[in-house]
Amino acid sequence: MFSALFILGCGVFLWLKNTGDAGSVADIWLDGELIESIDLNAVTIPYEFEVSSEYGSNVIHVSHGAIAVTEADCPDQICVAQGAIADSAIPIVCMPHRLVIEIRGEP
Amino acid sequence: MSRTKRLALMAALAAIALTIFVAEAQLPPPVPIPGIKLGLSNIVTLVAMAVLGRREAGAVLAVRILLGSVFTGSVSALIFSAAGGLFAYLVMCLTVNLFPRKLLWVVSTFAALAHNAGQLAAAVWVSGTPSILVYAPALVASGVVTGVFTGFGAMYLIRALERLNRGPASK
Repeated sequence: MFSALFILGCGVFLWLKNTGDAGSVADIWLDGELIESIDLNAVTIPYEFEVSSEYGSNVIHVSHGAIAVTEADCPDQICVAQGAIADSAIPIVCMPHRLVIEIRGEP
Repeated sequence: MSRTKRLALMAALAAIALTIFVAEAQLPPPVPIPGIKLGLSNIVTLVAMAVLGRREAGAVLAVRILLGSVFTGSVSALIFSAAGGLFAYLVMCLTVNLFPRKLLWVVSTFAALAHNAGQLAAAVWVSGTPSILVYAPALVASGVVTGVFTGFGAMYLIRALERLNRGPASK
């Protein structure tokens, strides 16, 4: 029963990973508040900026159609390891800093 | 077991759990998915529940979670740790007498799944972004693996403890 659950979990996750809509707007949430909405299709020159809070700071890299966290001062570095996202499938989450970046379809 | 012996064992288990927790926090995450780790210190919670009882296990767990967040320096992670720990503890309390000791790993797996559910619920609540629920299937899969693993770890430890209790040193 548990191995079935394991396979199901892996399968559904991989499936979800490939079902995202190619969205264009990246919403950046910090501690439950929407702090920034960026239209990724309008970005021509890639740029970086820092998001800081009492929990820590992250450097966010924005380029045409994609967004990534490139630096974080947390120990686990999960958000950095995830790389850039370009669709709505899997949001970038930095839970120790309460930071979530998700992409949605319409501007 | 005398009261003093129980208290000493509780303190020792809390110290062991805390050590494992802090040591594990130094390791890089096994997969780049938030919320996934082995959770080795849950071995100690299981052992406390099987050997001592529900209340004692709850005390060991509470001490480990509170001091663990202080010692790893990530107080902001306390709420996820506490939500996961509480869910896991409740499920453990409900299921520990449902299964024979030989199937303690089943209890452990249910607890691990509950831990991940509680942790994710806290993350959704704190971050205000329900979209992170897409991580749920991955957390279910990892909960099965880590739950079985820590469950067998606990069973080996309990067996070793019983052998120790039967030894010539104890009456």
